Amino acid sequence: MKILVIEDETELCETIVSFLKEEGYRCEQAGTLGLGIEKVNLYEYDCILVDIGLPDGNGLSLIKELKKCHPETGIIIISARNSLDDKVLGLDCGADDYLSKPFHLSELNSRIKSLLRRRKFEGKQELVIDKITIIPENRQVFVGNEPLQLTRKEFDLLMFFVSNRGRVLTKESIAEHLWGDFADSSDSFDFVYSHIKNLRRKLSDKTGTDYFHNVYGSGYTLVTD
Amino acid sequence: MKLQDKINIRFLKITFLIFLFAGVLFYFALDHVVDYNIKEMLDSRKAYTVLSFRQNSQSFDSISSPDHSIFIKRLDNQREYSFYSDTLVFDQEEKELVPFRKVTFSLNKGNQSYEIIILQSLLESEDLQKVIFSFMAVLFVLIFSALFFLNRWISSRVWDPFFMSLSKLNSWKIGKNQDVRFERTWVSEFDQLNGLLENMMQKIQADFVNLKEFTENASHEIQTPLAVIKSKLEMVLQDKTLTDIQHQRIRVAFESAIRLSKLNEALLLLSKIENQQFLLKEEIDICNLIKTKIDALEELFMLKHIEVSVDFRGPILFSMNPILSEILINNLLSNALKHNFENGRVRISCDNQVITISNTGKQSQIDASKLFLRFSKQTTSGESTGLGLAIANEICKTYDLELKYSYSHELHNLILGKKMKA
Repeated sequence: MKILVIEDETELCETIVSFLKEEGYRCEQAGTLGLGIEKVNLYEYDCILVDIGLPDGNGLSLIKELKKCHPETGIIIISARNSLDDKVLGLDCGADDYLSKPFHLSELNSRIKSLLRRRKFEGKQELVIDKITIIPENRQVFVGNEPLQLTRKEFDLLMFFVSNRGRVLTKESIAEHLWGDFADSSDSFDFVYSHIKNLRRKLSDKTGTDYFHNVYGSGYTLVTD
Repeated sequence: MKLQDKINIRFLKITFLIFLFAGVLFYFALDHVVDYNIKEMLDSRKAYTVLSFRQNSQSFDSISSPDHSIFIKRLDNQREYSFYSDTLVFDQEEKELVPFRKVTFSLNKGNQSYEIIILQSLLESEDLQKVIFSFMAVLFVLIFSALFFLNRWISSRVWDPFFMSLSKLNSWKIGKNQDVRFERTWVSEFDQLNGLLENMMQKIQADFVNLKEFTENASHEIQTPLAVIKSKLEMVLQDKTLTDIQHQRIRVAFESAIRLSKLNEALLLLSKIENQQFLLKEEIDICNLIKTKIDALEELFMLKHIEVSVDFRGPILFSMNPILSEILINNLLSNALKHNFENGRVRISCDNQVITISNTGKQSQIDASKLFLRFSKQTTSGESTGLGLAIANEICKTYDLELKYSYSHELHNLILGKKMKA
């Protein structure tokens, strides 16, 4: 999987790139809109992360260009401007998703995976994690051949962990993934805890394995070995 | 009060005063003239009477006048006098007392003294005064109405450019990129005013754009380094070789970075609302919005065992920005959730164009004046930015809504409704 990151902030760009490389993607970076457009015209990418506010122009023009030559490429906008206008304009231009800075890398990872699933496999991919099988399109989970009933939030939580397998997911990023704006609520960490507790119980009841590890009281990780 | 009315009232007052003064002056002048005339008349009649009395050698009966205005009587002793006085005499024809002026004087003929009284009616002068007063009154009304209509006519012509400018100012909205042009009026004062207004509006517009750009730039500039800090820390947290202590320290730094970025977002949102950068307006069904938000929050309430009761009677429509309406309801509901305790209650009612969100809380009565201030935290909870209600309040101000706080029956009530027009 090949990903292009177009972001003018070098530090941030490098952080994203090194993170994505760890995840096993092939990654390229462009610091300016001009360079980005050049690369897009020369090579094919599976997914592009583009900052809207670039020093030499608006990332929206790149999205329009890209839609003409490579319409199958997935596009995620990353923008500091947390304004609805940008979001609506970007999605209208043909972007698939929108993330406003600052975001959690785990959230970015989950969005990229979900986008690639939709684009590359038309969502019909089956995810197999040890004894668990997930069909994301239908939001179904099986253990062996037995279906496992999960609530909406539990399913989202499981998908988030599966996308970030082996990584430590902080309580903050989980809360934000599940509740978005409501994650501010000081109690949301308790809710994260209780959701994870429920999910953990449901999974271990069926599989007999505890997949979740608590990390230093700061987060959780999904471990399969 | 309208300009027109103000001018008219001034006119009325001044004309009234002038007429009052002129009327009084006129009255005294006329009174004096009439008085003088009557005296002249009495004097000439007196002279005539004296003359005919002296010439006439017979009795004084012959000079009695036909209108009974001369009376003569004999006097016993001899004296010399002459004086004027006023009196009332009963008039046979008009059947009422009529004012007269009389001259009384003595006259000697031979050894006999006589007293002669000559009467002169004052009725005519009284009539004169009446005529003058009614004439003045009619004149006053005429002049005032003439002034009124003239003033109106002139105002509508002369002030026309002023009212045009006024309506242009009324329709002008900052942030909407309108180009304001005032037409030439050919009245130097108005042209000057319009010129100044035009400059001022352009300046305001430019400042507004600058401020907006600054807000956006600040957001961009601060968020990016924050994103770097956050993601770097997040990556370090993945490092499995870290000791517990190291992990704990990075964890604290990470949490602080998150708080900082939330704070920054909230402050930027506040300034955006204050700058009225949310221009889009729609009719929002608030009850419906609350219902969807409660659905989204349902499990958060359930996990805290908070009983939510909802009582909606009829839709409530507010004309406002859709994003801001969501933020407003989000903040109010989060507030009810955040400051609640386990097994608490939240009651939401929409009635009579007023929404009341009531919740049980850890504290009793809160100082309402401080509640909506920025960074006024009731708890020392590190998770709360202390900006939620300040943002809600700012949104309300933008759309002429009112957010009030009250405390009753152990419930904190936040009451949201349209502001009463004073």
